[in-house]
Amino acid sequence: MQTTNLFARYLIRVEISWQHNRQITAIRRALRLIFPLVLLGSLADFINQAWLQTDGYYYQTLHVVKWVLRLRLAREYLRLISAGTLGLTAVLMAFAVSFYLVASSTQHTTDRLMAGITAVISLKFFNVNRASVLALRPIKWLSTDLGLTGVLMGILIGLLVGNSYRWCLNRQQADEADLGLTLTVTSGWILGTAALGLLWIGTQTTSVNAIFTSMMRWPFHLPHFIMGLAGFSVLTSLYQWLGLLGPITVGGQSMESAQNLAAVLNHHGWQLPHPVTLHTIVNVYAEFGGSGMLLGLLFAIFLVRGAHQQQRVGWLSLVPTLGNLGAPLMVGVPVILSPLLGIPFLLAPLATISVSWLCVRFAWVPAVAYPLATGTPGPLLAYLGTGGSWSALALALVDLAISTAIYYPFVKWQQVAQVEGGAVHEA
Amino acid sequence: MKRRGLFLLVLLVLLCVPGFLWQPHQAATVRANYRSYLDPIILVPGSSATQNRFNALVKELNHETPKTHSLLRVEVMTDGTLKYSGTLQSGDEHPFIVIGFQNHHDGYRNILKQAQWFATAFKQLQATYHFNHFSAMGHSNGGLILTLFLEDDLAATHAHADRLMTIATPFNLEEADPDVDTPLFKRLESGRKRLPHELVVYSIAGSKTYTGDGIVPFDSVNRGKYLFQDQVKAFTQITVTGANANHADLPENQQIVGLICQDILP
Repeated sequence: MQTTNLFARYLIRVEISWQHNRQITAIRRALRLIFPLVLLGSLADFINQAWLQTDGYYYQTLHVVKWVLRLRLAREYLRLISAGTLGLTAVLMAFAVSFYLVASSTQHTTDRLMAGITAVISLKFFNVNRASVLALRPIKWLSTDLGLTGVLMGILIGLLVGNSYRWCLNRQQADEADLGLTLTVTSGWILGTAALGLLWIGTQTTSVNAIFTSMMRWPFHLPHFIMGLAGFSVLTSLYQWLGLLGPITVGGQSMESAQNLAAVLNHHGWQLPHPVTLHTIVNVYAEFGGSGMLLGLLFAIFLVRGAHQQQRVGWLSLVPTLGNLGAPLMVGVPVILSPLLGIPFLLAPLATISVSWLCVRFAWVPAVAYPLATGTPGPLLAYLGTGGSWSALALALVDLAISTAIYYPFVKWQQVAQVEGGAVHEA
Repeated sequence: MKRRGLFLLVLLVLLCVPGFLWQPHQAATVRANYRSYLDPIILVPGSSATQNRFNALVKELNHETPKTHSLLRVEVMTDGTLKYSGTLQSGDEHPFIVIGFQNHHDGYRNILKQAQWFATAFKQLQATYHFNHFSAMGHSNGGLILTLFLEDDLAATHAHADRLMTIATPFNLEEADPDVDTPLFKRLESGRKRLPHELVVYSIAGSKTYTGDGIVPFDSVNRGKYLFQDQVKAFTQITVTGANANHADLPENQQIVGLICQDILP
């Protein structure tokens, strides 16, 4: 590749060496493993939210209630599918990461599976109903943090368990499966993490994930100024890149949105008391296709010549991404823990936030006041949110173009990295 | 490569088409589904009680709930002017608003007048605080005033009533004979079709003796079913006995405080 410059060469080298790291390889293989489940769950989620819920885009615009039979049954069915797939991603990640880490060190399936199982049990020790443990009642397991928000936690537990298991396996010489070793390592881990889990729920009232997300919230209570918006965006992107995939919400916003809507409905003209909020800028102009402007990534993938594997993921993720569910692309490409794609993932929303903030701040474009329907195609959010402002739609399209342009070179380099590093990676 | 990008663009535009077609109807939909941030809980005391009647109850309720709600008291004078006391804190989504009357005497004619004054107060509060939905609780005749308001004046205010709780409300006044209909009951029954269909109603009766709470006959409270049943979204009747089950003590009855927390507070 003669066309790529020095900076690109450097990035590609970092990406390749990153991909060859044992830990990263295990994580990427685990992500590839759970991709079909994430895709299926996201599709179910998309249909449920956008087509069957009263605040869904297609529900409202296509009058779904008039022609779909057994609406309630369909909702129940899809919610169950989504809970069984997306709702368990953290468990699957913990299992798979631990499994793949051990896989390279042993031929015995028992050891590989046991490493995965130990990771799952360890993860569950942190997801248990606090009151049921402390009051000596029958134990109730929680499932709230096992979904997309828990992917990071799953990865961490998987890495911890997998590495320690591998370390023990490497210490033993015998070739045949050693029941004693399996028992020692497994029980060691389970006794240890059970104690840690008990320590956690004995001293903390919130879950580990809640700590992560509250760290997100405290500096940005009312980020009306551009630095607040940018800071929020950077932190969101960082979390998502690390694997905290769930939606992150900030308190204190609903009241301002309510006041904006009240002002528009009670007075003539489009005068908003709070034109610049997280909702009017970030949610509307920086989350096409999900957090991080993933719709731009999808366009870039489709425009880059020869990125076949990514294009296959792109085609599969097409529907959820157009409904602003980013999880399939995050897991499938993967964007999670990819240094090369992490850069545009951070920069694209920052760029669109800056441009949009400028336009809304100086009232070149009206701010959004109407409630946004779930699953609305990204660029249409602003148009419908402003009650049909063409300038808002134009701004959204500009934002889409900017984000595509930012993603484009990185997708190209990513493809180079995959071609150059692929052979070793697959081995 | 161009073709794939173009395809995506065309698909994006196609998905936007329903949005463009729907957009002209959007404003009407938004307006119809709009609920103000402020969603007050309006409390109306019974006859002979003032706007201070519920001070203790509100204190008790604030003690029970995780968030403290502010209390605004309004006294409607006989000439229709309002006298305010207490505060409505900004940012409080569900404040309590007590509406009492300068003329708080009992009697059919007076209750009709009080319902008129209530409507006046409601419209003024609505104009000041811009709310378009609320829940309400009325003790004794307060429940009658609220029911009359819901039948006669609610539609004109364009507000949505979410939940109503009446406590020992005598829908047939003090009449204990089930075969006698008082003029008030006839009036309420004639207007029942105008009760909002989205409303959820709880009617609570106190039972001190086997026939009533000491003042209001049980049969009179029981008449509520002829007004609300099959007319509102849901109608629940509850009978409370035990300590504090006589008429005047009902709002402080612990069971009823629990029911208010559970059913009226959001």
